[in-house]
Amino acid sequence: MHAVRNVKLCTKDCLCLFVCPTGATDTETGQIDAEKCLDGCRACVDACPSHAITIVPDTFPAPQLKTDAVKASLLSLAGSKVKQEQTANAIARQTNNPILKQFASALSKSNRLMAEDLLREAGYLLPQSRNVQDLLQSLLDSPRTDDFPREAAQRLLELLEGRTTETTEKEKNMAGTMDNLMEAFAGESQANRKYLAYSRKAEKEGKLNAAKLFKAASDAETLHALKHFEVAGKVGGTADNLKDAVAGETHEYKDMYPDFVKVAEEEGNKAALKSFEFAMKAEEVHARLYQEALDSIDETEEVFYYLCPVCGNIEKSVPEKCSICGVPGDKFIKY
Amino acid sequence: MKKYVCSVCGFVYDETVGNPEGGIAPGTKWEDIPDDWVCPLCGATKAEFEEQAEDVGSDVPQAPVEDRVEDMRELSFGELSALCSNLSKGCAKQYLPEETGLFDELSQYYQSRAEPVDGDAQVGALMDLIAQDLAGYPAASGVAGRDDDRGALRALVWGEKVTKILQSLTKRYEAKGDALLENTNVYVCEICGFVFVGDKAPDVCPVCKVPNFKLARVERS
Repeated sequence: MHAVRNVKLCTKDCLCLFVCPTGATDTETGQIDAEKCLDGCRACVDACPSHAITIVPDTFPAPQLKTDAVKASLLSLAGSKVKQEQTANAIARQTNNPILKQFASALSKSNRLMAEDLLREAGYLLPQSRNVQDLLQSLLDSPRTDDFPREAAQRLLELLEGRTTETTEKEKNMAGTMDNLMEAFAGESQANRKYLAYSRKAEKEGKLNAAKLFKAASDAETLHALKHFEVAGKVGGTADNLKDAVAGETHEYKDMYPDFVKVAEEEGNKAALKSFEFAMKAEEVHARLYQEALDSIDETEEVFYYLCPVCGNIEKSVPEKCSICGVPGDKFIKY
Repeated sequence: MKKYVCSVCGFVYDETVGNPEGGIAPGTKWEDIPDDWVCPLCGATKAEFEEQAEDVGSDVPQAPVEDRVEDMRELSFGELSALCSNLSKGCAKQYLPEETGLFDELSQYYQSRAEPVDGDAQVGALMDLIAQDLAGYPAASGVAGRDDDRGALRALVWGEKVTKILQSLTKRYEAKGDALLENTNVYVCEICGFVFVGDKAPDVCPVCKVPNFKLARVERS
């Protein structure tokens, strides 16, 4: 979201220059610098006496879905208007009579405007809409002429992509399934960890068959969880995944665990306190490592990571002892 | 004494009042008005007027709504040109100069590839298409109303009115020839496509009601 100036309305009162906290309104082009504009702070909008400044959103809501019957009716009329526009153009081209030429030009213009209006209402209202992007893609995929300006269409697709909040009809119909996939992902993930804990316990108790079954089932739940997560479309590109990981770990060490630590202290649960503190400190390290990996995503030189098997700390070289829990360095696991 | 309403702009001709500015004395019966008289607001011919119903609440019989059974056809180059020029305008409204220019480029490309109209182009050919469109509007509006599509309905209401004006103008041109436009101006509403022939553009567009700075004068070259 950012502010724009309608230069036709601007009466050069220039109050926007004084109120803008970032100087975004002060440009050589007469337009507001969208990069500098804060996310819709509106100071300039409210200050402008000529009502020349408005806020434009970066994304738009989904336009109304058009039924096939409405589309067919509109397209049929639009086709006729286009034919009339072209006939009027031919009349204007062929005649030497300046009055007929003028009349035909007016008719051509009128028909072009009606055709535009009918086509826009046939589902092509918003340039960012999925429908328009699909049309551009289909023109690119099967151009009907050799000299089709591919670059223009390609550039438009790049510019328009991701600027609509529209969900496709298919996605809308699958909203329930999407929720279920994420719920199943959470359930399977927990079951995986739970069975692993049970397996270790069974091992300690010497119940080796049970330990084996728990381990196998734990791995099976991992398979389920990974599939659910993937089908839900949650696995993006690595750069996006690293960003997501930084956000997740940061939330945990900054907001979630500090609250948990406080409650554990108040309730005097020392074991929980220790578990939370180890995790909190380790998550902070993880966030930093994810950020480093994101910053150097294109570097190819191999990096090794060393995991502390007690607290979950990760180091990039073997330490003398773990900086979080004090475990000796030789216990660290190399990755 | 009866009243007649212009179906394009809503102007009411009241037989009691007449239309003195248009040379029609008070008390003139509708049938006594000369056939070349036109609506003083929008220029529609007498044929576009309907008698004002006494009972406003009475139900107007609706055209039966029938779905057109036809496959979605491929858009023609001319249609793609109009579609892209409208998207270009849409981008301009959002202050997206690069997108505006690119859609304009596509629009011009498709316009240059559109099949030219063969042979001798005549106003009569336009009149046939106009009559065909006017026969199609009620059914199209019926479908849009049934499917609760206000946007489509709005475009169809404006389009039908503008098409009626084009019918009036082409008929008047066929009857009067160049005299229709010789000593006056032609304006086109840049919003809805309404065409006005007269010395001075009306204050607002009679169809879409936009103020007249959007009514562009078409110059004679």
